[in-house]
Amino acid sequence: MCVYSRFAKAARSIALFGALSLSAALAQAVDFLDGDLQVHGFATGTLVNTSDNNWFGKSDDQISKDYWEIGANASWRVTPDVQLSAQALSYTAGGTDDGDARLDYGLVDWTAVSSEAGRGGIRLGRFKTAYGLYNKTRDVAFTRPSIILPQSIYFERTRNLTVSADGGELYVERYGENGTLSASFALGQPQTDTEAAQTAVIGSNRPGHIDSKLAPDLQVMYEGAGGRYVLGFTAVHLELSYKPGVGDRLQAGTHRLTPLIFSAQYNAEDWSLTSEYASRRISAQDFGPFFYNGTTVGESYYLQGTYRLAPKWEGVLRYDAYYADKADRDGKDFSAATRLPGFTRFARDWTVGVRFDVTPQFMLRAEAHRVNGTGFLPVQDNPNAQDLRQYWDTFMLLGSFRF
Amino acid sequence: MEKLLPIKFVTSRGRLLLLCVLAAVLPVATAAAQTAEPVMVVITHPTTSEEGIPRASLRAIFGMLLQQWPGRKPVKVFVLRDDASEHATFSKSVLQVFPHQLRMAWDRQVFSGQGQYPEQVSSPQEMLSRVASTPGAIGYVKASEVDQNVRVLKIR
Repeated sequence: MCVYSRFAKAARSIALFGALSLSAALAQAVDFLDGDLQVHGFATGTLVNTSDNNWFGKSDDQISKDYWEIGANASWRVTPDVQLSAQALSYTAGGTDDGDARLDYGLVDWTAVSSEAGRGGIRLGRFKTAYGLYNKTRDVAFTRPSIILPQSIYFERTRNLTVSADGGELYVERYGENGTLSASFALGQPQTDTEAAQTAVIGSNRPGHIDSKLAPDLQVMYEGAGGRYVLGFTAVHLELSYKPGVGDRLQAGTHRLTPLIFSAQYNAEDWSLTSEYASRRISAQDFGPFFYNGTTVGESYYLQGTYRLAPKWEGVLRYDAYYADKADRDGKDFSAATRLPGFTRFARDWTVGVRFDVTPQFMLRAEAHRVNGTGFLPVQDNPNAQDLRQYWDTFMLLGSFRF
Repeated sequence: MEKLLPIKFVTSRGRLLLLCVLAAVLPVATAAAQTAEPVMVVITHPTTSEEGIPRASLRAIFGMLLQQWPGRKPVKVFVLRDDASEHATFSKSVLQVFPHQLRMAWDRQVFSGQGQYPEQVSSPQEMLSRVASTPGAIGYVKASEVDQNVRVLKIR
């Protein structure tokens, strides 16, 4: 079974690579349409090693090769105000995601009003979720500041819930003399049909399933002085209800998640300073006696500096902190109530990394993390909480190609 | 030891501040030492009726956000390679945006289905010929290279 699934995975990766190179050839062909039709894609592979605990597969004292991001997209500008776009994505991440190709987004974007001073419109279909500075292209290595996004805000664990949604998004942009103000408001159905999404909300191996209401998502961004500084605010509200299965110990409960994210960035020519703060209210109700019901407010923040050392080289240094419960930062109360280690309720992560752009199409990265706490590690990679270690390091190497 | 810590913190913060100031001043100093950079101008297809454009709108056009000229005519953006010196000078002095920010903005839009890349040309000569032959086209060249087949767009 294991051998077979490995083979299937390899075959799938090869097939995707084939499709990618085919579309690369196609991309040159479609230049005949004056560039109104564009085809692009990327393939990223990351090697992960950890001193303790597992992340992106079996990485504890070994090298995991189970972290892949492969995608291809097409966009077609039908008229000056209508664009169609779609992206297929294969995302493999240890025990949380198996790499099955999915529709990452597929939308029609209609710019209803447009003038010299701004524009406004609507995106309909499956669109990327506005969530902080980096979420919309979170799986595209070239757009990330580091191999792994700051986990306190951009969890790998719960990514399926915030990766994209089905519905509509209204947007407005105003190009002022001092800066660009943009805002979007979306109503969409998050993707709750994956195992990873279910596990993130109710834990692993539950017989029932979760459904989501349409989730509102508001984002406001201001880019001053040609993007010298960026200020942003995001508010999302997810309401997930559980339908118990046969012989289920859980009752029909409801999970409500309301993250609020404040973002700030300063860009100089050679360096950028970025910080985001998130307050995450999570309430679990009516799941019955076999679940941790109640309301907690979690807190996350990071401060990150990137420095462009030379034209092809960039360094990054970041401190990232995550607390599942602001009122129980060290997890003592949680530990007393559940007999699980308290350090599973927080994570403080120091990251240092380097990026080398070999060519504009090919990038290499190396990155080291020193972490205190296991708050952002997925249970799928670490099924037994008693095996977790509080202090751990991870080292990663990434290669990414795009066209 | 306990008392020493805040002092240590202050001095290390002071050092950091000094570093930041240095980092900010150095590029200015080196830029001043270099010979004057060429003057870059925005060029458009000759049929474009616009005489001038606000810098903010120009930024939105080269950022691939604003895709229409007044009157719903499609904008077609041409750029040189990211590492071309003209591209850097145009980005910084005309758009007043760093080239790496433009690249990031394009990447983010293309890979989230919200926009497209501008068309990259390989030389100022190709820039001139493509802008001259493509209705709705916009691009840039050195002021000294402008020919009669394109129109210069002023910033107002």
